[in-house]
Amino acid sequence: MKNVISVQNITKSFKDLTAINELSLEVSTGEIYGLLGSNGAGKSTTINILLGFLKPDSGNASINGIDTTSGYNDARKHIGYISENVNLYPYLSGIENLDYFSKLTGKNYSYKKLEEFLNKCGLDDSAHHRRTETYSKGMRQKVGIAIALAKEAKVYLLDEPASGLDPLASNELSGLLRKLSSDGAAILMASHDIFRVRETCNRIGIIKNGALVKEMDTSDVSTNELENIYIDYMQN
Amino acid sequence: MINIILNEWKMFVRNRVFIYLTIFFVLSLSLVVWMGIIQNSTQQEYRTKAQKHVRKQWDNLEAMNPHRAAHYGSYAFKPNNLLNSMDGGINDITGNVIQLEGHVQNEIVYSEASQSLSISKFGKLKSSLLLQYVIPLFLIFLAYGSISNEKETQRLKLLIFQGISITRLIFAKSLSIWIYGLSLLLITIFIQSMLISSDPEVFRRLTLLIFSYGSYYYIITSLATYFSARLKNNTSALSAILATWILWTIFLPKIWGNAVEKIHPLPSRMAFKAAMKEERSKGIDGHNPTDKRREELKNKYLTEYKVDSLQQLPINFDGIVMQEDEEYGNLVWDKHFGSNYNILQNQKGLYQVSGLLNPFASLQSASMGFCGTDMIHHLDFLKKAEDYRRVLIKGLNDKHAYGGSKTGDWGWTVDSTFFRSVQGFSYNAPKINDQINHYLIDILCLLWWVLLITFMIKLNTNKKIIL
Repeated sequence: MKNVISVQNITKSFKDLTAINELSLEVSTGEIYGLLGSNGAGKSTTINILLGFLKPDSGNASINGIDTTSGYNDARKHIGYISENVNLYPYLSGIENLDYFSKLTGKNYSYKKLEEFLNKCGLDDSAHHRRTETYSKGMRQKVGIAIALAKEAKVYLLDEPASGLDPLASNELSGLLRKLSSDGAAILMASHDIFRVRETCNRIGIIKNGALVKEMDTSDVSTNELENIYIDYMQN
Repeated sequence: MINIILNEWKMFVRNRVFIYLTIFFVLSLSLVVWMGIIQNSTQQEYRTKAQKHVRKQWDNLEAMNPHRAAHYGSYAFKPNNLLNSMDGGINDITGNVIQLEGHVQNEIVYSEASQSLSISKFGKLKSSLLLQYVIPLFLIFLAYGSISNEKETQRLKLLIFQGISITRLIFAKSLSIWIYGLSLLLITIFIQSMLISSDPEVFRRLTLLIFSYGSYYYIITSLATYFSARLKNNTSALSAILATWILWTIFLPKIWGNAVEKIHPLPSRMAFKAAMKEERSKGIDGHNPTDKRREELKNKYLTEYKVDSLQQLPINFDGIVMQEDEEYGNLVWDKHFGSNYNILQNQKGLYQVSGLLNPFASLQSASMGFCGTDMIHHLDFLKKAEDYRRVLIKGLNDKHAYGGSKTGDWGWTVDSTFFRSVQGFSYNAPKINDQINHYLIDILCLLWWVLLITFMIKLNTNKKIIL
């Protein structure tokens, strides 16, 4: 399998604070990588470097072989980004939001095609033409993923995507991400939700003080074991 | 970019408050324009009637000595420019009637402000008030959160991610709001042009008004959007743009205006009159037969006509003296009024330069100028009225001197046929093509601000502001 997301020995400091310290990780096609860590561990900084919004002090990050510092515009073409809160335009319906964001990428889909994207992401038909101001957080996340799908992204970067979702919506999100990975997408998901990461990801990396302290395959650990490992690393 | 603009417009039209406010603006502007035109034409009707009445009185003058007719004089009524209904400029505070008579240049009197407490206190409600203050303020409220809202909701990251550059996003957002301001302006101009004459001069002036207001709206919306992008949050962006707006519309015009008056001070009315009186006293006193200069003039004419006494002259020397006195008075007037005119020009020029710091000053100056209601147009009326007075009085003095009477024959009269042959006063406002040089500074200052803000957005907005 091809490494699509690559982070090599990245260090990033903000004044006296080292947010990321010599961090390296790789995510291949069809893989969901869970970056597990507490608040302030460096998860969002890693995502922001991969998105090209932050420049690392040293090391390099690439998406599909494109450096995210020097070629962030090209790299972004391959990325679908879903933040903790997918804030859509409340005065537009789900389908209008999807249409608008797709047009920004230069793609002009028919409404039929847009509906297919929304259906694929599990958004109820009845919600497609409703203004998103009436949507739950889970519904907005689905539209967010549909936007990434419509962009034909092969790489998904998710920053705390399940935060604030009810169990059913979280479960739906996991299923959706697994489906995307089975279609060949490479997914990096930053989270502090041990259970959700264990349920969704193939591989997990624990990040502490900006450094990757442990990497493992999900199949090697149960949720309880993962919780114990995580607590051990956080306490030491 | 068009998609962003369309999306912004969707946001506008799906917001009820926005729709209600737009309806309010359109109705207010329509009403104010309509009322302004009605008021303008009513005023104009009165002035035309008054001018006709004055002319009728002149035409029906009883037979009298031409010099008596010169004292009787006439009146010039300042006509309203057609676009006075949009921007009254200084018209409310300057007078609109001037008495034209021999020996003296009277002041223009009967300003509207002097006859109305509410006008003197608050000014008149014209569409310029809405276009210069209310609509820009509304544009500010639309623009201040345009980017900071996207930042605060983290939508900005998603937008950038879809391939839009931050610079293009700022331009698109600000253009969508600018188009709204421009639409309100065009509606106003459209109603204005529908309700008044189809004179090409009016259309030229309206085109220049569209340019001036359009540029100002671009400046205000782009700056508000720029602050929205550069500053941390909505509150900071709103505070910054409101502070700028207050500085531009309230403080800078007053501070700069006071400084201009200090740098180029006009003499007080008392000092002006005293200086005029003193210089005037050095000329011939037309009504004083023992005046020394009158004696010199008398000797000149006696020599020229080779006669020994004024009674032997084939002309009426009194008329010659009156015209001589008039011409000396004109020189004195030209010197003092010319000096004031230059000071006023310098004041205006210096005030216009403030447009480099304050685009609102350029807008106001251009708006008054293109509506034909500023100091330049007012001075033009005064000059034309004075020119007419000189022609009128010279005609009467010449009739007095060469019309067949003898010196000292004050009982000699001319009948109304002569008075009717004297052309009445009619005034045509100057064409804007001939006056445009007075407003080049305003146009250039507005263009300077358009370019400055465009470059600020282009060069000073980068990905750092996204996080």
